[in-house]
Amino acid sequence: MVRISKADEVPWRRTMRSSNADVRRFRHFSRPYAAAVAGRPTALSRESRRLVLLMAAGEAQKESEERRGGEALMADRVRKEPPCQPLSPQTARSLAESVDAFLFDCDGVIWKGDKLIEGVSEALQALRSMGKKLVFVTNNSRKSRKQYAKKFAAFGLDVSEDEIFSSSFAAAMFLKLKNFPKDKKVYVVGEEGILEELELAGFTCLGGPEDGKKNIQLKSNLWFEHDKSVGAVVVGLDQHINFYKLQYATLCIRENPGCLFIATNRDAVGHFTDLQEWPGAGCMVAAICGSTQREPIVVGKPSTFVMDFLLERFQFDTSKMCMVGDRLDTDILFGQNAGCKTLLVLSGVTTLLELQSPSNSIHPDYYARSVFDVIELLRT
Amino acid sequence: MTATTTNSRLYASHRSHSQLDGGKPQPPHIPLKISHTKSQLPYPSTNSPTLLKPQSAVGPMKPRKLSLLLKAHGKGESFEMLITGAVSHSFLALYSPSSSPRTLISPLLPKRRRLFSSLLPPSFSSSPSSVARRTLGRRNSTMSASSAVRGSAQKLENADGLIDSVETFIFDCDGVIWKGDSLIDGVPETLDMLRSKGKRLVFVTNNSTKSRKQYGKKFETLGLSVNEEEIFASSFAAAAYLKSVDFPKEKKVYVIGEDGILKELELAGFQYLGGPVDGEKKIELKPGFYMEHDENVGAVVVGFDRYFNYYKVQYGTLCIRENPGCLFIATNRDAVTHLTDAQEWAGGGSMVGALCGSTQREPIVVGKPSTFMMDYLSNKFGILKSQICMVGDRLDTDILFGQNGGCKTLLVLSGVTTLQMLQSPNNSIQPDFYTNKISDFVTLKAATV
Repeated sequence: MVRISKADEVPWRRTMRSSNADVRRFRHFSRPYAAAVAGRPTALSRESRRLVLLMAAGEAQKESEERRGGEALMADRVRKEPPCQPLSPQTARSLAESVDAFLFDCDGVIWKGDKLIEGVSEALQALRSMGKKLVFVTNNSRKSRKQYAKKFAAFGLDVSEDEIFSSSFAAAMFLKLKNFPKDKKVYVVGEEGILEELELAGFTCLGGPEDGKKNIQLKSNLWFEHDKSVGAVVVGLDQHINFYKLQYATLCIRENPGCLFIATNRDAVGHFTDLQEWPGAGCMVAAICGSTQREPIVVGKPSTFVMDFLLERFQFDTSKMCMVGDRLDTDILFGQNAGCKTLLVLSGVTTLLELQSPSNSIHPDYYARSVFDVIELLRT
Repeated sequence: MTATTTNSRLYASHRSHSQLDGGKPQPPHIPLKISHTKSQLPYPSTNSPTLLKPQSAVGPMKPRKLSLLLKAHGKGESFEMLITGAVSHSFLALYSPSSSPRTLISPLLPKRRRLFSSLLPPSFSSSPSSVARRTLGRRNSTMSASSAVRGSAQKLENADGLIDSVETFIFDCDGVIWKGDSLIDGVPETLDMLRSKGKRLVFVTNNSTKSRKQYGKKFETLGLSVNEEEIFASSFAAAAYLKSVDFPKEKKVYVIGEDGILKELELAGFQYLGGPVDGEKKIELKPGFYMEHDENVGAVVVGFDRYFNYYKVQYGTLCIRENPGCLFIATNRDAVTHLTDAQEWAGGGSMVGALCGSTQREPIVVGKPSTFMMDYLSNKFGILKSQICMVGDRLDTDILFGQNGGCKTLLVLSGVTTLQMLQSPNNSIQPDFYTNKISDFVTLKAATV
């Protein structure tokens, strides 16, 4: 047994009983701990050395989780729980009883492009008649809330503007919360939805679909002008993306001091027509990231920015909410980050194969074929 | 804590560790994990096709890796590295007593700084999957170590010494030879002087808008006599890469880029689709609209494209996602480029970023700082990389390219990089030498005579 000084003495009983957090606090006793982990001779008994090594292993795992960041941490936590189960009559009933508000994604859950998914209107009506609150949270920034309300009305669904939270609205609200000065302008790489919401919030906008028609004739003495009073660049899905917009946004972000770089969302692809997937806002945002080497502030899912608004508006507990979505990395992650229950529907971009793939680390609580399944199961 | 005590303690710990395992012969492969933060480089680090090879179990650790570690710790930065247990002995042999004990890392202590006060670097995990995760996709650019050995760049004084020590000079074009459309002072004399000394000259540029032939013409109009075979544009690199992987001639290549790439592909005998023509095509996201794509496309090549639009993004995305085995090749990932010498313009990094964002795949980069062009050159001309000097104006592409390839590097301040940027504390890329412009080769030589 190696003689150790008083300073090195470990209150080994304490080491055994206390939690990892306590051990970290006793840093001055850490030398024998370190020695035990390294396998050097220490004064610890074999038993305490074994326990110390076990704790070290547990800590290493926790640290790797933390290092991977919050989102992965959430995903890991979910992984330790039982894997997601298909919705059954019993679970549908318990879900309906325990949940007061349903949050729906739109693309792939309610509609696909301009085609309503089967059974959705019946399902929504049934949920409303049960007294559930319905909220629609979408990452699609092409339309404003008003335009979405019109789209719902065109499908015969009775949804008011207050129940819709699009990422275009989220961007405008973010600027408002930040007290963005009214004398500064906002450059928009996106479509009308963002422009409308920003104007409703009282901000001056530049860019948008109009700049999609502008071309650049590169001559040797060409100087590209940009407005020095632009204080923020908002990037969302833009089917009229071109080099002019990329250059304008890049110059604003790189040269205007303190210019904000806001992204409505970072979805890679989406079902913007019913027949196939199209590149999403993630594409435009990544293009600007590539030229400015800056990361944006994301206001749409899976960021929980919109959730704060929801909570303020509806005063629900997040544990009494259920997020219904078709994408794992945005909808389900959003629900998990916020602490809601999550239900994945397979009527959108995610297939059962992708959900059950070993490389997938995001597991919703339940999954079903479509929104209509929820009602169907409740009736059986 | 003296060096020797630490040395012996580490050595002892290594032995006792294996004893703890019941004397089992463990594979001496202990990864050392430290995380690298993105903010350190002034420009982004890029993915390159060459992966970091794990150190062999036998043989000393190369001095440059050790000093990289030391330099990293000196600055409080960190890198991810792979060292083997057996190598740790030579690691100790190379340990210089002047370094602080903090820089010595026992491969066996897993705990983080917070547990051991300030003694140890961040932890590592030795599971094989995490090792694999760390070696794959490891950005080669962060492992360029020659700068670490040298410390900061020196001003070029002994031009003759540098010229005599190398056999080939690789020049970047924008900012070194010309700026926009005007030649930089003293360039023709310098190139003539170097040629008269029997040095081989090569011109490597990341600009993919022109083909080699078109660049040859540009050199001619500026009054420089440069052979087409000496020019390597990233458009040529893309075609050369496809040739090197035996890309089948019956497959097509979809191009999101300009004329240069199309011309090079044609010369190499590949069929292509896309290019500036697709810049006219429009998309209407309305019901019933379906976009077809050619199932025969086997590769998508992305470079700077001023006619960029949504149609091209969708076509490229469909090819990469749906055609099995489709390659995703990027000519370069420069964030900004000097299309006109007056200001910066969004560069190829923007278009490549867009495709990465929609496909969620990383491309194979053929331009600087990836070493593909350097390997191609050394194979073609039969030159040793240690006999090359890279002369460029950008730290994150030119100098990093030189360092990744293992050759000498010379930064010129006649382009985008200023002395302030070079000496800024945020900058971690240090060339071997720096000078104002390449004509200093002539003027400095004249001064010493």
